[in-house]
Amino acid sequence: MSNDSAATADNAAAKQFVRPDFPVRSSAGSKRWQAVVVVGLIACSMISLLTTVGIILMLVFESSGFFADDQIDIWEFLTGTRWTIGQSQGQMYYGIWPLLSGTLRITGIAMLIALPMGLITAIYLSEYATKRVRSILKPVLEILAGIPTVVLGFFAVKFITPYLLQPFADFKTFNATSAGIAVGILCLPLVTSLAEDALQAVPRKLREGAYGLGSTRLEVTLKVVLPAALSGIISAFLLALARAIGETMVVALAAGSTPTYTLDPRVPSQTMTGFIVETFKSESVVPGTLSYYSIYAVAAVLFILTFLITLIGQIIRMRYREVYD
Amino acid sequence: MSESQDTQREYRDDQQRKTMSHAFSVLCLVISSTAVVVVTTLLISIFMTGGNWIDLEFLTANHRENNPEESGIGQAIIGSIVICAICGIFALPIGVGTAIFLEEFQPRNRYLRLFHGLVQLNINNLAGVPSIVYGILGLTAFVYMFGFFSSIRVNDQPEYEIGARYYYQTKTLGGSYVKFPAKKDYQPTLAVTGSKWVTDDQGNSFRLVIVPNENALSAYQSRLDRAIVVCSIAELVEQEGEKLYKIETIGGREVTFPAERSYGQFSKILEPIDVIGSDGETFQLNVISKRDPLPTDPEIKNRTVVADSPDPKRRSSASIFRETNWFHFHLPFSKSVLSAGLTLALVILPIIIIASQEAIRGVPQTLREAAYGMGATRWQVVRSTVLPSATPGIMTGAILAMSRAIGEAAPLLAVMGGVLGTTLQLSSLMDKTPVLPVTIFKWAGDVNDGYENLSAAAIIILLVILLLMNSVAIWIRYRYEKKLAK
Repeated sequence: MSNDSAATADNAAAKQFVRPDFPVRSSAGSKRWQAVVVVGLIACSMISLLTTVGIILMLVFESSGFFADDQIDIWEFLTGTRWTIGQSQGQMYYGIWPLLSGTLRITGIAMLIALPMGLITAIYLSEYATKRVRSILKPVLEILAGIPTVVLGFFAVKFITPYLLQPFADFKTFNATSAGIAVGILCLPLVTSLAEDALQAVPRKLREGAYGLGSTRLEVTLKVVLPAALSGIISAFLLALARAIGETMVVALAAGSTPTYTLDPRVPSQTMTGFIVETFKSESVVPGTLSYYSIYAVAAVLFILTFLITLIGQIIRMRYREVYD
Repeated sequence: MSESQDTQREYRDDQQRKTMSHAFSVLCLVISSTAVVVVTTLLISIFMTGGNWIDLEFLTANHRENNPEESGIGQAIIGSIVICAICGIFALPIGVGTAIFLEEFQPRNRYLRLFHGLVQLNINNLAGVPSIVYGILGLTAFVYMFGFFSSIRVNDQPEYEIGARYYYQTKTLGGSYVKFPAKKDYQPTLAVTGSKWVTDDQGNSFRLVIVPNENALSAYQSRLDRAIVVCSIAELVEQEGEKLYKIETIGGREVTFPAERSYGQFSKILEPIDVIGSDGETFQLNVISKRDPLPTDPEIKNRTVVADSPDPKRRSSASIFRETNWFHFHLPFSKSVLSAGLTLALVILPIIIIASQEAIRGVPQTLREAAYGMGATRWQVVRSTVLPSATPGIMTGAILAMSRAIGEAAPLLAVMGGVLGTTLQLSSLMDKTPVLPVTIFKWAGDVNDGYENLSAAAIIILLVILLLMNSVAIWIRYRYEKKLAK
């Protein structure tokens, strides 16, 4: 049936675009011109490759400016639990764990919200929702996906903290929880749309087979569709995780600018991205200083984390995809 | 166990399973509708905070320090649009070109095939890189250009520059301003702001360590003989016919680095020179001594300065300023709208590529085959058949990508710093400008609570702009679908 409608569309498009006076014919000249164009297209493609190479080279060279410093010990950077770069006074500590743990805390809270909610919303959209509910829910999720992150940061610090958190417990003005909730909201549409794609890719035959055996809708969903779509769902989760780790403006606004090494979700907790933005905001970055190089060292850790997670997500999606038919 | 009991239990089980299934669907509906609740709450809370603050003055005024009542987002709106346009001009052709290469030109050459696969893999990974990392890339690649050009920069004068003229400007006795062209020369002193390679008297060469301020010295204990505090003054010396700047490190080691000609911050006026008045006419400036009688005629006063005032600050010293044309351009780009636009272009490039690929993939194969059948080359097929038919899809994707770009704050903070208001109008690609998302960010974090409402008002404007852009995208999609259905 869908083939038919596609064919109709094909014909309609063909009528529109293939004109009787179709002005092309390959000649020696047009082939030479094509060679020029191909070189141009390759040059365009080079740029995206150069971007990746540029990011990696930049992070390697500039953060080597940090580690080459005889005061910096790479082991202490990776294991230390105090971070004071960016605060001008006192002894300098440069252990990344306060920043890293801030990132992990906020990402954890965000995932607690985004993963179950996103998955359930995706299941609902794919398996249960009527056309009418869909026509409301889908645009709302698209709006949510389109809201700039700085707006969600504003929402976190001016609404979530004072009205949702502070009435119930002793939350500081800037805290990990409100930032985590906002980042979770931000990841929700991403999880939903990717997981829904994965669920819808499961062939109808499987569902119909299960219904034919007398399963209820819940059983079809949990025992047939979910396992079949598992690789797609896991890769959706991983992409959301990478997104949450790299999220910047929400944490810059809502999580505060104090690096803390704790499990308490009520206190400020600067993240890796938060530290980078805070340094840029204060406009005190002078090339060549240690605090300038420290941005690159932190960014390198951030890049490695998100890059690995994205890569694993892609590999899972490609390798473990269930192939039917 | 009798048969009827069995059936009864089965029936009960069935009932239970059905109830469970139903309960789950209700749970799903409840959880799914949180998204609706969140969006509604967010919009309502922002409109309640900022709705009353939007008026014509807010839309046209600029940011003012500690004066939320008279602050506005005029410059920020223009800045956001300009940067978004620059970003689109670069990202769109490159993105569409890459998509065409990936979809329509599967190469047969082995190395090109490898390149093809690598680009495809890379694009999916680039889409997952945090935007702040792009910001840092923009800072390194566009603002500082990997340090290739940043040998010595005085008063932020770039090395390679067109479209700018430097003048010294001074005030006459009559209160009018006169200016005269500045010349580059070796300056007797230089404030060192960036790290550079230096040589000490033993011939050892190393990179200077720049300490951000005096208070931070304790953190640099072990390297004091290689460190200076930022903006320390170096002095010009001549060694073996070579001009060098010499500076003493905190540890007392004397180091030198090669000097270059530059404009000085001030120039003394000691003898009559030709100057340009505020009305553009050229005349000779009278320079009198402070013992000379002051002129009384206002016409003459406007052409006179005092050469040797006892106060060194007022000694007819003219200070430097720069006049720029609209084509003002320099290397490195430093903190400018061009750097910002290019950085955002990198951020949205993967999005545009993926969207364009999907649009191109959606073009029916029959169209291509028809064109090939008429003897067209591959590129002719793409240009006259695939591209026209994929354009609506590409445009929709491009607009959605641009609306992502206009809301990005992190890369812009990295590339332009937190500019809120500038006294200069945006006149060339090398100027800085405030933009909407950064303004929202800075206002939301301001200690002065008055800016909170303004921040919400700016958010409303940003959301309206996004809504407009998305409506255009939807309209294009709708028109295209209608055309196809004909």
